[in-house]
Amino acid sequence: MTFAIRPILLVAGLLLSLVLLFAATGTILPLDQWNWMDIAGEGGTALLAAVWCLIVLNSRPDGRVTRLLAGGLACIMLGSWADCLDEAIDIDKRHLWDNALESLLPLGMLVLTVGLYYWRLEQALLSDHMRKRERLFRSHRPFDRITQLADAAYLREQLRLEIRRDDGAPCALVLFDIDGFHRINREHGHVEGDRVLQAVAHMLLLNLRNEDLLCRYAGDRFAVLMPGLEIDAAADAARHLCGMVSRMRHHAPGGPVAITLRHGCAPTGGAPDALLADLCRRMDAA
Amino acid sequence: MIAWQPAGEPSIPARQQPALALEYGRSRDAIDAELLRDTGLVTGLAPDSLVSPSQYLQQLSNTLRALDSPDTSFMLGQLLLPGHDGAASHALVQAPTLRVLLETLCRFHARLTPLLRPRFESWDGVVLVYWVDAFGAPGIKAALVEMHMTALVGLCRWLGGERLPWRFCFNRGAPRHVEQHHVHLGAELRFGCQLDAMLLPYSYLDRPWPRASELASRLAQQDAALEAVRVPGLLAALYDYLLENVRAGPTLERTASDFGVSPATFKRQLLRHHTHFQGELDQVRTHVALWLLQVQRADNEEVARYLGFHDAANFRRSFKRWTGVTPGPVRAAQI
Repeated sequence: MTFAIRPILLVAGLLLSLVLLFAATGTILPLDQWNWMDIAGEGGTALLAAVWCLIVLNSRPDGRVTRLLAGGLACIMLGSWADCLDEAIDIDKRHLWDNALESLLPLGMLVLTVGLYYWRLEQALLSDHMRKRERLFRSHRPFDRITQLADAAYLREQLRLEIRRDDGAPCALVLFDIDGFHRINREHGHVEGDRVLQAVAHMLLLNLRNEDLLCRYAGDRFAVLMPGLEIDAAADAARHLCGMVSRMRHHAPGGPVAITLRHGCAPTGGAPDALLADLCRRMDAA
Repeated sequence: MIAWQPAGEPSIPARQQPALALEYGRSRDAIDAELLRDTGLVTGLAPDSLVSPSQYLQQLSNTLRALDSPDTSFMLGQLLLPGHDGAASHALVQAPTLRVLLETLCRFHARLTPLLRPRFESWDGVVLVYWVDAFGAPGIKAALVEMHMTALVGLCRWLGGERLPWRFCFNRGAPRHVEQHHVHLGAELRFGCQLDAMLLPYSYLDRPWPRASELASRLAQQDAALEAVRVPGLLAALYDYLLENVRAGPTLERTASDFGVSPATFKRQLLRHHTHFQGELDQVRTHVALWLLQVQRADNEEVARYLGFHDAANFRRSFKRWTGVTPGPVRAAQI
């Protein structure tokens, strides 16, 4: 992970200015009065909170949830840092700002909690959005960067699960190819090709049942796993999906591009690799 | 004397293949510093400069690593042909049939596909195109083969207007997954073969392509022939030389003198291309033996005689050493 330099400078600046403030207003205690355990504990908390704050700032886009999480962690960091400095520098108890600084710790925890609450709501929305893309469980690695769909490795995993479950319920696998996709890439450039892939992925997602799983197999080939469907019903659903995509209008900079799909389907069963190779052979012949 | 090009000397115009690869890397959100690391090339590539094959190889290997995506080699392949090499690229596009296309590609390979040299053979019923390393790139050989095969498949599909029923052989173990091969090449894949080849039924070779024009093709060929010849890479030139002289028992000394350098220099050059003379000679003899066994249906005795071995047992032992398998099963396997 690469860190942006600004938040790092900001956090370091805050920590340093607190040290300067303490040094300017208080008296440094003799070394034998320092409680090293407390200093290590509170200082460590402050530094780790600083790292968490930077991770949050660097891994999320700006927004309410990000600000609450980062703000909460920053408060915890400052509160603990003030606690830690208190161990080494004596501040006159009449100074209210010292107490205020230490109370940042519970305040930070409160803000962090609120942030986590909103984060939970945000996750619920995202999970809903991702349902048709990931099905039964979440695993973060196997996602295609262009379409944000699961990739072939995830599809094989799901096929294996489907075989292992083997509860007698039917299940079908459908592959889709974009007709003449290589021509779109050649004539409009592969960046436009990527946009076509994204558009087709969206159109397919909108027309799937909740229990279906859409993957990008590779290139312009998509795969849909349709649990609970007999082969005829799956072929019917596939024809409907092809129809929906063909009615879609894709606008490239050079004018509209007609997009049509062809499909092949088979009931799931047997080794995933053999099933996929067989279906791919039929797609090539089509 | 045979003309050849070492990997370390600038010979590829930066505005051609290197620029295409760079542009693709950028479009996938990689930065120039990462894509051109250790190549000695300046950020953004100076478009009018020349790039050495080893710099281009390093650039490709950086790109594969930086993008870390299983489709990188195939996508780079889609961009490779017909390329932007003026008359040679134009001659490719104007080819009226697959035969002319393959002849053009093999003739101008040093310009169109400098890293791998395509060779094209045909015999009763079969067309075979195979790829030979031109500059020694053991680390990314598999990716280069995927890239060049995708380039040729894509070009034929574009010009011919249909997907040709290619079959593919790979000189490597089977990868864990082949979905990218399925989509970008086809479903007929064989791994663990002795050469990187693509095969097609003979009937496709002379089938006229839509919008084909004999005249335009001939003019484009003439234009391309007028341009300065680009010299092939050391290993490509050596492969051609050894194939031609394989029955005469080529030696390092004789070959070095035909290539116009001392044996010591030649040895050093081969080392710089990550190979040695015996390795290259064994590769050529393997390919010739394969052709005799699988195409001519020759037995061990005949192959041994052709390649100048004492007897069949000697040949059998050598073949096992070159390929790891005995000639028997290879002969039984139809190409």
